[in-house]
Amino acid sequence: MWFQDTHPSDRELILAADGELPARRVERLRKHLTGCWGCRVRAQELEGAVSEFVHLHRRTLDPHLPPAGASRALLKAELDQLASSQSPAWRPPHVWQLWLAGAAVSAFILVLAGVLVPHRSAPRRQATLYASFVPISFPATELTPGVARAKTRSQVCGVNEEKNREVPAALKRRVFELYGMPGADPKAYEVDYLITPALGGADDIANLWPQSYSATMWNARVKDALEDRLHDLVCRGDVELVTAQQEIAADWISAYKKYFHTERPIN
Amino acid sequence: MSDQPPETALRLPVPGAIETRSEPPAAPLVEEVVSLFDQLRDRLLRYVTSFGLRVHDGEDIVQEVFLALFRHLQLGRSRKNLRAWAFRVAHNQALKRRSQGRVREQLTEDDGVTLADLVPDTSPNPEDQAAGSQRRQRVLAAVTALPEQDRRCLILRAEGLRYREIAEVLDISLGAVSLSLERSLTRLARAAER
Repeated sequence: MWFQDTHPSDRELILAADGELPARRVERLRKHLTGCWGCRVRAQELEGAVSEFVHLHRRTLDPHLPPAGASRALLKAELDQLASSQSPAWRPPHVWQLWLAGAAVSAFILVLAGVLVPHRSAPRRQATLYASFVPISFPATELTPGVARAKTRSQVCGVNEEKNREVPAALKRRVFELYGMPGADPKAYEVDYLITPALGGADDIANLWPQSYSATMWNARVKDALEDRLHDLVCRGDVELVTAQQEIAADWISAYKKYFHTERPIN
Repeated sequence: MSDQPPETALRLPVPGAIETRSEPPAAPLVEEVVSLFDQLRDRLLRYVTSFGLRVHDGEDIVQEVFLALFRHLQLGRSRKNLRAWAFRVAHNQALKRRSQGRVREQLTEDDGVTLADLVPDTSPNPEDQAAGSQRRQRVLAAVTALPEQDRRCLILRAEGLRYREIAEVLDISLGAVSLSLERSLTRLARAAER
């Protein structure tokens, strides 16, 4: 027990402040502090040290932390890949499954004997599915349907409006892999948001695709111009945000022709 | 007749394919891990960059932590205190990268920062600013002079870990955590009040 001349140690004060001291000792300490200015001041000094350190730690590092969106999207894509490529937990097989397994073993033996010609197995992953798909002017809808996060004009217009963000290199590589283009020249493509963040598009791999800079006149730079035009129209209230998102995701070339009143890109 | 080149019609997306959603649908385990990422990402990133690693490398480590967490949970392993588990994996990865020499000091310019970088001063007037700045410099010097394990304890506590979690991450006893925090805060208090 702490009496007037038996003061708590720094360690006990810190343990109490951190909620690590047993309840009965906390109560005794509280009573002691009520009557002891010296220990109250000491407790405040230690709290001051905690405060100084936390401010130092946070203020130094927080401004340098990049937004979580892109790394979250990359993680999500990696996890989806892991989830789809690994089989579920083992369960006891049914009789028909055993029969099928037997049939499979027989087929395998026949293949080995040269009786059957093995066919390519069905593609399991999207990257395989789209191995031959080279996006020229449109993304593969199944890979890049477009994902929007913002739903209201106020979220994309004004002081806190979303700016277009640089896509991290690792995420770009992942997009190229998904499109079956791991060896593509990254300088020839813009890994672009289908729905640009300036129009409320999400940091999601399902909203990203490799768009050629030069393979066609309907290229990434032309789409950038449309994005700027749509952003202006949405913020002026001339076009609903949802309409802009749907039009740019469904057929951005038609949207370009509509909003620029032209059949060809304007240079 | 349109003058649009034929290749432009290579693939037309299905109209209405746009997905407007706040969270994309995913398997429950994926959702759980992404939710933990949302809770812990900044804390883990601050922790691993405090090892002197670049933010870019820190982000790689955080990705690895959550991929490992996914595999851990997928194998049905213990769900006890996943926060401490994530910090421990991050700690080990950061040590490994640092031992490989992937620290900021050996690189030219980059995105990395340490406690030794200048802290922006937000005090209201020049006198307070000068006094605040001197105090911060003294605290900074005290933090820099701490033994590595004491600094780790302090940072982990600042990131909200309880004593038993810190003990688990650093593989030390509860008593050692308590002693370390006492030692560090006493030094920091002395530096701040000097």
